[in-house]
Amino acid sequence: MPFILLIFSNLLRQKIRTGLTVLGISIGITTVVALGVITHSARASTEEILRAGTSDFSVGRAGSADLTFSTLTGDDAEKLLAYPQIEHVSGVLMAISRVGSNPFFVQVGIDPADLTYFEMPLVDGRKLAAGAGDEIMLGNEAADNLDAAVGESVEVREQSFTVVGIYHSGAVMLDGGAVLPLATVREYERKAGLYTLLYVRVRPGTDVEVLAARIEEEHPDLATLVDLSDVGEVDQGLEILDAINLGITILAIFIGGIAVMNTMVMAVFERTREFGILRALGWRTRRILQMVLGESILLCLMAAALGSLLAVILTKLVVLLPAIQAFISPEYTPDAFLRGLAVGIGVAILGALYPAYRAASFSPAQAIRYE
Amino acid sequence: MSDGREIVIDVRNVVKTFDEGHTRALDGATLQVRRGEFVAITGPSGCGKSTLLHLIAALERPDSGEIVVYGEEITRRRDLSAYRARTIGLVFQLHNLLPNLTAAENIQVPMYETDLSAGQRRRKALELLALVDMADKARKRPAQLSGGERQRVAIARALSNDPPILLADEPTGNLDSKAGLRVLEVLRGIQRQRGVTLVLVSHDPTIAAAADRIVRMLDGRIIEEGASAEAAARVV
Repeated sequence: MPFILLIFSNLLRQKIRTGLTVLGISIGITTVVALGVITHSARASTEEILRAGTSDFSVGRAGSADLTFSTLTGDDAEKLLAYPQIEHVSGVLMAISRVGSNPFFVQVGIDPADLTYFEMPLVDGRKLAAGAGDEIMLGNEAADNLDAAVGESVEVREQSFTVVGIYHSGAVMLDGGAVLPLATVREYERKAGLYTLLYVRVRPGTDVEVLAARIEEEHPDLATLVDLSDVGEVDQGLEILDAINLGITILAIFIGGIAVMNTMVMAVFERTREFGILRALGWRTRRILQMVLGESILLCLMAAALGSLLAVILTKLVVLLPAIQAFISPEYTPDAFLRGLAVGIGVAILGALYPAYRAASFSPAQAIRYE
Repeated sequence: MSDGREIVIDVRNVVKTFDEGHTRALDGATLQVRRGEFVAITGPSGCGKSTLLHLIAALERPDSGEIVVYGEEITRRRDLSAYRARTIGLVFQLHNLLPNLTAAENIQVPMYETDLSAGQRRRKALELLALVDMADKARKRPAQLSGGERQRVAIARALSNDPPILLADEPTGNLDSKAGLRVLEVLRGIQRQRGVTLVLVSHDPTIAAAADRIVRMLDGRIIEEGASAEAAARVV
């Protein structure tokens, strides 16, 4: 029998205890993996908004607690247009409110003329017409949810709008929301002259990163968003989510580690005599350590597998909630599962160190006399 | 007994105490065992016979004195695992088989410390099971075997790394007389066929009588030794 099977066989000696320990650890791993999937998906949704249209990068107000709290003015747009490398700046004002069953219906206010730059691929109808304040373009998900078609009316913020087009951008939050005239959104949000984000198109041959860095250096109140790692500058919510995830990961390792230690200490003390016999039969200390550590790692790998499976099921259930569905579409990246695996291995090592040391340090003669 | 055979176990004036020196288990014990010899150590309970066996098996170290096995002072070795794995085969009063493993798998346990592949380990385990007349019980777990059968599996396990010395601590102590004699027969047969040196601890005179030489202990000392009646009868 290969050594690994001997280890596995030892775990099966106490099936209920092994099963309960695996279940206990897997709950921690489920939390870590599920939160990892949700955090990543939320980041991806935010990135989709920042990369919307055909812009090269976007600009927000530095230090904003949330993307929607970013507030920019026409002066900020002028500052950007002063750079000769910048070809065009499109300003958008975002608002979120309940529409239909979606409590977080995203409304993007944009000057219809800028839709050339902030492109929303149409699947039906047309773009907003210049000067028409009561027109709306719906995302395909929003159109489905509201059961609205081109030519029909929908109500947003107690105002009636005519659906003139339906788009599909691939961005979860945008496809679940709508694009409206900038002036209309400014009016009902009471944010005259303000933008949430500025989308920048540069001239060919421009080094985007160099330009973005220069803008931030010369205008510290502006945050340039070139890639996802910049999101924290205008959305500290995601940074907080990351911090929570890290905190839960550390907690999962410690709590799981204690659960594993409890199981392994019980197993080691129950098998004191057995370890003495193995030492008497010529097993080296290292072999005993390998066996105890191996049992712990195998236990936690089973927990990692179960935890990952539960996390997939859980996240699929969570996104059935309309409030969540509007924000994220779960993305199962290897990172989230590797994190779960790392937690499992961390738990295994942390939980097995002391029991393995104890098992290896038993005197064979004393262990054999142990009853 | 000085028949010219090499002395393989040489215990010299060994002292071993427990309970911080309050209990003196061995008090200057001295014993020599020659290659291929079958020595039975007898004596009343608590006389130190199992302690002596444990010291020869290097399960613990003496307070003073020397134990020389195959010319090497084993108590000075830092790591005794290799000695226990290669030189000594141990049979206990309780079989001490792992309950989750089959008979064949139990026999393979000491072989994890060798370079044998899983297939080689299995083949060797089956050969050893045949040697103790248990070939048909390879897949049985300890709970499915009788006491005598378990002890025969334990003997096969003790032989798994081909040790030249077999140490048996009351191997028949938990068995009825019939099963005990069967286990003794197996041990005796192995000692003769393989030429291993067998040191057996037993308080049962019937079992001890099967040895070439009987060593009697009392209060941690060897008080008497000589050829057993059975051995003497064989010589006659």
